[in-house]
Amino acid sequence: MMELESIVKGLHPLEIKLLLSAGPGEDITKEKLIRELSYNEGQCNQAFSWLSSKGLIEEKRRTKRISYELTELGKEYQAKGTPEERILKLIGEEGPMRLPDIANKLGLENRDVGSAYGKLSQKGLLKMDQEKKVCLAESGRGKPVDLELTRSLLDKLAETKQLTDEDLNDKEKALVSTMSRKRSSSKGVFRVIEREDVIYQLTEKGLAAKKILKREGITGEEVGSLTPEMLKDGTWKGKNFRRYNIKIPPSRVLLGRKNPYVAFLEKLKNKLTSLGFEEFDGPLVETEFWNCDALYMPQFHSARDIHDVYYVKEPTHAKEIEQPYLDQVAATHENGWKTGSKGWEYSFDRDFTRRLILRSHGTVLSAKTLTHAKIPGKYFGVVRCFRYDKVDATHLADFYQTEGIVLGEEVNLRTLLGLLKMFAEEVAMATEVKYVPGYFPFTEPSVEVHIKHPVLGWFELGGSGIFRPEVTEPLGIKVPVLAWGLGIDRMALMSLGLEDLRELFSKDIEEVRLRRERSNL
Amino acid sequence: MPKIEIEEKLFSHFLGKSLEIDELESIAVAAKAEIDDYSEEEGVIKIELNDTNRPDLWSTAGLARQLSIYMTGKKYSYGFLSTARERKEHGERRVIVDTSVNSIRPYIAAFQADGKGIDDALLRDLIQSQEKLCWNFGRKRSSIAMGVYRADLIKYPVHYKAVDPVETRFIPLGEESKMNLKEILEKHPKGIEFGWIVRNFDRYPFLTDDEGKVLSFPPIINSAELGAVKTGDSSLFIEMTGTDLNSLLLAASIAACDLADAGFRIKPVMVEYPNKTPYGGNITTPYYFQKETRLDIKYAEKLLGIEISAEEAEKLVEKMGNTVRREGNSIVVIPPPYRNDFMHPVDAIEEIVIARGMESFDPVLPEDFTVGRLSRIEKLNRSVRDIMIGMGYQEMIYNYLGSKKDFVEKMNLGGNDIIEIENPMTENFEILRNSIIPNLLESESISGNALYPHRIFELGKVAVKDEGKNYGTKTKNYLSFLISDSEAGFNEVNNHLSAVFYYLSREYSLEEGEHPSFIPGRTADVIFKGKKIGIIGEIHPAVLENWGIEMPCAAGEIDLDFLID
Repeated sequence: MMELESIVKGLHPLEIKLLLSAGPGEDITKEKLIRELSYNEGQCNQAFSWLSSKGLIEEKRRTKRISYELTELGKEYQAKGTPEERILKLIGEEGPMRLPDIANKLGLENRDVGSAYGKLSQKGLLKMDQEKKVCLAESGRGKPVDLELTRSLLDKLAETKQLTDEDLNDKEKALVSTMSRKRSSSKGVFRVIEREDVIYQLTEKGLAAKKILKREGITGEEVGSLTPEMLKDGTWKGKNFRRYNIKIPPSRVLLGRKNPYVAFLEKLKNKLTSLGFEEFDGPLVETEFWNCDALYMPQFHSARDIHDVYYVKEPTHAKEIEQPYLDQVAATHENGWKTGSKGWEYSFDRDFTRRLILRSHGTVLSAKTLTHAKIPGKYFGVVRCFRYDKVDATHLADFYQTEGIVLGEEVNLRTLLGLLKMFAEEVAMATEVKYVPGYFPFTEPSVEVHIKHPVLGWFELGGSGIFRPEVTEPLGIKVPVLAWGLGIDRMALMSLGLEDLRELFSKDIEEVRLRRERSNL
Repeated sequence: MPKIEIEEKLFSHFLGKSLEIDELESIAVAAKAEIDDYSEEEGVIKIELNDTNRPDLWSTAGLARQLSIYMTGKKYSYGFLSTARERKEHGERRVIVDTSVNSIRPYIAAFQADGKGIDDALLRDLIQSQEKLCWNFGRKRSSIAMGVYRADLIKYPVHYKAVDPVETRFIPLGEESKMNLKEILEKHPKGIEFGWIVRNFDRYPFLTDDEGKVLSFPPIINSAELGAVKTGDSSLFIEMTGTDLNSLLLAASIAACDLADAGFRIKPVMVEYPNKTPYGGNITTPYYFQKETRLDIKYAEKLLGIEISAEEAEKLVEKMGNTVRREGNSIVVIPPPYRNDFMHPVDAIEEIVIARGMESFDPVLPEDFTVGRLSRIEKLNRSVRDIMIGMGYQEMIYNYLGSKKDFVEKMNLGGNDIIEIENPMTENFEILRNSIIPNLLESESISGNALYPHRIFELGKVAVKDEGKNYGTKTKNYLSFLISDSEAGFNEVNNHLSAVFYYLSREYSLEEGEHPSFIPGRTADVIFKGKKIGIIGEIHPAVLENWGIEMPCAAGEIDLDFLID
């Protein structure tokens, strides 16, 4: 029953009106619908097909039905006159004329003029004079019955478009049959169409549906769409609105959208700024100086071999390195400068330090920020980096690193651990945090933070430490600096439901359109 | 970061006890080591060592030593080390260095190790630690290479000199007949692998004994005669050649300490240099050259955020295997001979951290108040992003590296301003992008089946050559956007551009422009404050054809840096 209720609510006005118009056991035909409900033929077909598929009406039987229409020729005759009418008119107005001249004047073919003349002379309306000119016959002053009948039929059909057998008397029927060809013939004046009409009746279910319609006061006259005019002139008042079938599946919408990975990174940036960090930014092309030397990585370090960073082909070197940083960093590498370190004890190469490369880690920008940092200060960057790596599911040639620093008189190992704990909980939703001694050439002590993530389980969230004085002092910073980096790629993949880092930078429009976040950062 | 494989049995032998794998895992942090893999069946543990400045940990003996000191406080002392003040007895064992190696590979360190016969496991470990040391610490043998020989066949003194690569011939390890040095570089697997280190010199380093018997062609390959060490050999001659004296001396001390821990007696060798070195003309190796490091306890307290006494600090630093002397409120750290990673007092502070245990430090939040702030370009990007999304654009994000084919050829451009990579790994990543439009077109080229219309954009960085800049290059922040459908055209992109400018409260104008990637007459330069900051137009059908795109595209690209006040 519920099912029927919901069917009824989804009915179209064409269906509703049909149901309401029919009684039990009463035949429902197209004719009836056309006549009583002013449906056109298409609407009849729609209503029948929808209602039968819902089981509200059923086919009872079929009947043949003959109907008549004007052909194109018939339409022409109706408008311009039949050849007979036109010839009579012409001779009446212009006097006797030879047959070919008639054809010429009226723009008809000789053959048609000939056969019309034949008919008219038979009826005694026209005759041929001695000069073979056609002239009116003495007896032919009045028009014979069948000419008038033809005219009246043409006019009636032009008006109603279609007439059925029942609409015609026997004379008319006889006339039509002489002037018509069956179906789609173009030479005839009338077209005879034989059709099979299907006769429907309401089913039990249909009767029940009708009851519901009546109970609910649904008439099919409900308003389909609310128009601006209705609002303007107030005609919506007192009207009911057609109920919709709300179960129709929605269609695809193409919308403007943030890239989900960008959205992830935006949230990360929001989180970090909300924690008091200021964002830094910098060029993609860097020098060996800032990429490694300023971070106290010795120039002979194995991580600095040709096959670990991308070198710029042209130009190869920066024009200069900013002073006094160059001198101070060089001295620190060579002998520790004033930092209290013994240095790496080798001869610093000032040409090599100008070598241009694509920055290979975000710590470059942390180092550069030191030259103009506020104290106390907190800085971060989500930094595009480049690595000489084979690209696969877990390695990209260019990718983002999230890095930052905290400067202040009061920062120390314990505040570093506190900071890491905050990141673990706030950024990564960690439930447990573990700190492990680590190694980075630019920090001492160094700490790796491992976290237990609610979905991913234990993993290394990032590396961190206190910048070595060999890093900070040559860049003019006298206070301790905490440096940290977070590996957020795994969280990004998880949040987007992906498994391959390459998909973060997907070129496929459809893939990106359909991608969505699985959980919030 | 180096990874080593240790055999459980040998490891337990060095450690003096056996450890469960999870016990090992928790104690390994004292050596900044992580267990990568463990095969109980084979009894092999794979370990990753994080500290690239602690090559002493890259062998079974060295790792066991550090953990044993940490766990049990066991003392290790090595009596074979010479110092600046005391030269140990070298007997007849000498290496004479010829001036000819000065500019090629100037340094050598050596010692002899006598014992009861090397066994299989130890020989494997010796070879592994030699490889790790020379590969990771010795920069793929270029700064350190090590050779091990049968000392009983050597007639001292050993001679180290540079020789003619064509005239000098010997049978290298793994071959049966004599080859000259040049042939070795061309044909021997080790010559092919490491030949780059010496190839550019006229003469190559060479080691012989006093009778002219060949030890090796360092850093490439040992001789088959003296340089084939087998199980059971009880007297070994070990040498290292290289370019950096400190690294070399450290590596020699590490190898000597490992063999001493395995029960070998280390016999020093005197190296006689033709010129003075930082440690004199003659150095008896293994040689201890490390300096003391003084740590002011106040400094440690400040950096660690804890209170600690000099006495506590002394104990903790000692617990890591160092010798420590207390002087007032400072401690002086004297590192063991196998370590050279104390450069600054902070390195001593790390010893305190590890010995005390990271978990003993209570995390506290930094209290300083600071203002969080996005960068100016990020703020602008966000405004632009909102406008683009409002107009129905899907944001994309692309890699910044690409190919010349995509960024130059397919775009019908000359590519003069494009930054090329000197050492690309593949041609897919041979340039740094100078425009985002090729990325957008690549998306179109693979997205013909995505429901149209397409409206895509990216906010990202590009870089171009720029002679006027210190770096000769300039990184820029671009907005690029592209529409594609049967009606995509100039007017629509201009409408969108004008919406962007309107909502940024900026004004722009257009001038007729020309660009090889766009249709002439349907391309415009975007002018802001009298400067060209971008371009809009309909993509040229020839470019679309290059990309295999069968739908019209129109695009725009502007440099957002100009819009920042």
